[in-house]
Amino acid sequence: MLLRIARKEFCDISRDGRFRGSAAIVALLLVTATALGWQSWQEIRREHDRAQAEAREHFDDQGEKNPHAAAHYGLYLFKPKPPLSFVDPGVDPYTGVSVYLEAHRRNEVGNRPARDATALQRFGELTAAAVLQVLMPLLIVFLAFPAVAGEREQGTLRQVMSLGVRPSALVAGKALGLTLALALIAVPALAMGVGVLIMAGPESARTWPHALALGTGYAVYLGIFLAASLAVSALARSSRVALIVLLGFWIVNAMVAPRLATDLARRAVPTPSAFQFAEAIRSDIKAGIDGHDPEDARLERLKRETLAKHNVETVEELPINFQGVALQAGEEYGNAVFDRHYGALWKAFSGQDSLRQWLGFAFPTLAIRDLSMALAGTDNARAHDFAESAEAYRRDLVKALNRDLEVNGADLGFMYQAGPELWKSMPVFRYRPPSLGATLESLRLAWWSLLLWLIATTGLVRLSTRALRVD
Amino acid sequence: MLLRRIMRHEARLLAADRTLLVVALILAAVVGYGVYNGASWAAFQRATLHAAQAEEAARYQELRTRLGSPGDNRPLPPDQVGLSLAARYAAMPPGPLASLVIGQSDLYPYYTLVTTANRQSLLANDELENPTHLLSGRFDLGFVVVALYPLVILALSYNLLSGEREQGTLVLVLSQPVGRRTLVLGKVLTRGLAVIGLAVAISVGGFLLAGGPTSSEGLARLGLWLAVVSAYGAFWFALAVAINALGRGSATNALALAGVWFLLVAIVPAAAALLVRVAYPVPSRVELIQAVREASDQAKADGPKLSARFLEAHPELARGQAEAKEFAVQSLAVQDAAEAGVADVLRRFETQLNHQQAVVDQLRFVSPAIATLETLQDVAGTGSARYTHFATQVDDFQERWRAEFRPRILRGEPIRSGDLERLPAFSFREEPFQAVASRALTGLTGLVLPALVVGTFGLAALRRYPVVGV
Repeated sequence: MLLRIARKEFCDISRDGRFRGSAAIVALLLVTATALGWQSWQEIRREHDRAQAEAREHFDDQGEKNPHAAAHYGLYLFKPKPPLSFVDPGVDPYTGVSVYLEAHRRNEVGNRPARDATALQRFGELTAAAVLQVLMPLLIVFLAFPAVAGEREQGTLRQVMSLGVRPSALVAGKALGLTLALALIAVPALAMGVGVLIMAGPESARTWPHALALGTGYAVYLGIFLAASLAVSALARSSRVALIVLLGFWIVNAMVAPRLATDLARRAVPTPSAFQFAEAIRSDIKAGIDGHDPEDARLERLKRETLAKHNVETVEELPINFQGVALQAGEEYGNAVFDRHYGALWKAFSGQDSLRQWLGFAFPTLAIRDLSMALAGTDNARAHDFAESAEAYRRDLVKALNRDLEVNGADLGFMYQAGPELWKSMPVFRYRPPSLGATLESLRLAWWSLLLWLIATTGLVRLSTRALRVD
Repeated sequence: MLLRRIMRHEARLLAADRTLLVVALILAAVVGYGVYNGASWAAFQRATLHAAQAEEAARYQELRTRLGSPGDNRPLPPDQVGLSLAARYAAMPPGPLASLVIGQSDLYPYYTLVTTANRQSLLANDELENPTHLLSGRFDLGFVVVALYPLVILALSYNLLSGEREQGTLVLVLSQPVGRRTLVLGKVLTRGLAVIGLAVAISVGGFLLAGGPTSSEGLARLGLWLAVVSAYGAFWFALAVAINALGRGSATNALALAGVWFLLVAIVPAAAALLVRVAYPVPSRVELIQAVREASDQAKADGPKLSARFLEAHPELARGQAEAKEFAVQSLAVQDAAEAGVADVLRRFETQLNHQQAVVDQLRFVSPAIATLETLQDVAGTGSARYTHFATQVDDFQERWRAEFRPRILRGEPIRSGDLERLPAFSFREEPFQAVASRALTGLTGLVLPALVVGTFGLAALRRYPVVGV
């Protein structure tokens, strides 16, 4: 019985010219978005790989100079583009693509690609994720709002009921038929996505589990909209009312909630201006954290301690290069200051992010947005993780260079020079993205909110079929 | 006369039906919230600029004391003064109507520290912001006008005629001596006056709350803003009439209007953005970084050669050469060479971005939503035009700043206490109102034309409107 209803529903929909038209548009958009996303991923990845290699060559080819001068010359790192970003580029256009590593300073990951685009992109970009998060739910609403209400208005519901069809079987059959029709739309893009992941090499092969989790997330999300549409269609006074309620639900979720969340989060957890932030770091380094320990006093103390440690009277008698020691001590003090301020900043950002995740319980679109970006590796957390590993690498690099100055430059002071062997012996930066387990763990709230929504909406469907009105 | 009677009657009907009240309350709430968000963003920017100004003033005060103290008034080396000690901020205050739309102002820098070294300093001057917020955009009045306000209009007018027909009241009304077009016109005008009037009133209210007009130009800009809001509203009313005139049921009308709304507000702009990007791809910043690096490495390697050539090119400076520190000459020469090395790449960025903007200017005729957003941002002074205007002024100021210090550096002429007050200072010049107005008028044409076309079509189609039947 169920299958027969599903078949009838499927035939009904697929013969509808409006469905064919809109399905063709959505399928085309989905395929286009996937193809373009993949192409731009490939381009960016190639470019970043090449730039990374070149940047390292620049560093290695510096010639003879003081190791600290080499630390000032520094090194550029480029943020790797994760494979699944072809599905969801996430915040990538709004985070920087590169970071300049140098002595004494922690630089922001800079050069936001969004700055090189027109105001049009603020309407939202055409990506596979946007089609799945916004357009597909709209299509579901359009297809499913008359499912029960329409039959009731036509009078066919009475006939079907008179045949002894159970209301729950009717609605389940309709859900199945609709799901089949919707699946047809997604098939071309899905096939393409799978093909891309298979062909794109070992890096993308590692993201299979992420892709599966992503697929599951979207299935749950679209299931929520389908269940909600059927429930509203069964409960509403007329198909007109059903449509308006569902459109309202969709508009609030897809169009209003993301912006609402932005301003709520900004108010709940304010962040400093870039100016305040930089001033605070500068004054903490100069006058000491909380203004208690100025730079000169710190240097004087370090000198006394180093002399005492080596049991000598003057800096010249030291068996090591004091400049190296002083530079590294300054570096470490700076690092403590950076940790303090960047720690606070990122804590504020993640507070804002978790507020948005909590809002996912009210608006499922917020939950799927977070889930999708995180699994694609294009969310805030990933940007933070990259910035932190780049900073850790900067500290290692500068420390190693200072260490060389300290140990090998003993009697030469700032005249000491090292050569390419030293530059080449410096570690190579390799970014290791967080594991799937850690990513899923951070998405607990998003999963829970999607699951709760699915349970609630399917529960509503059951409830509505229990006392289905025929007219 | 008849029209007025219809309108009075419609107003009574609308008042009896609580939809208008609910819709008006929602609109008022979202508009108020939008203006509130815009105003606090403008206040945040103003506070930041104020802090920067205070920092500069404190630095200058310290310099004055250093140079002026009687015992120890050693003059300062000009390269240090130009590079950091006396560096000045170039700031662009929030636009004249900044609290009404945040626009691109959360993405573009609004101040920078200008020194003798840093050209393109705006590039590296991003405000701290959670990237997800930039991605999602802000809940400002611009968003309310472009996306939500059409929905309010459509909610009130999707069943303009179909509703009455389904109730059976349309036959009754039309049995009176009244034409269909007059009836529709009366209905639309009543709703239009209510919604557009409300939007205008709340915009003005928000504007006053956010500080009100600071100049007559601010008022003129507000006038343009209100014209855009009214024209955009008129377009959506015209669309609702046209869809109603096709004679379908209320549910079909709602479906069609929601579809068109989503198409114009989301899909067409996204497709247009894609088109622009594919047609005029901007070279990647990654490439620029590499180019800058290579050019400056090359220039440093060529250093000694360059300083000889530099002095050849600037014979007027060669006189002071004896006093000039060799190092200073060389570093200026290196700077010039490094900048010349990346000029080509930078020019490519500029031309591609200009091309993109030119295409966007044409594409706004494709969707009234694009035309509205672009024009609102432009009028408010939070769009890309005002930013470009600012960037040009920063470049000019940087040139002036350099021109002040370079000869002194080469002549080895130190900065004394009296020189401090003569250093150039940046002051932002607003774009001439005529330029803004002429762009806004083009944008308005892009709204009025489609409204007229769609409206004419709707009124023509009304002639064949089926009065009975569902």
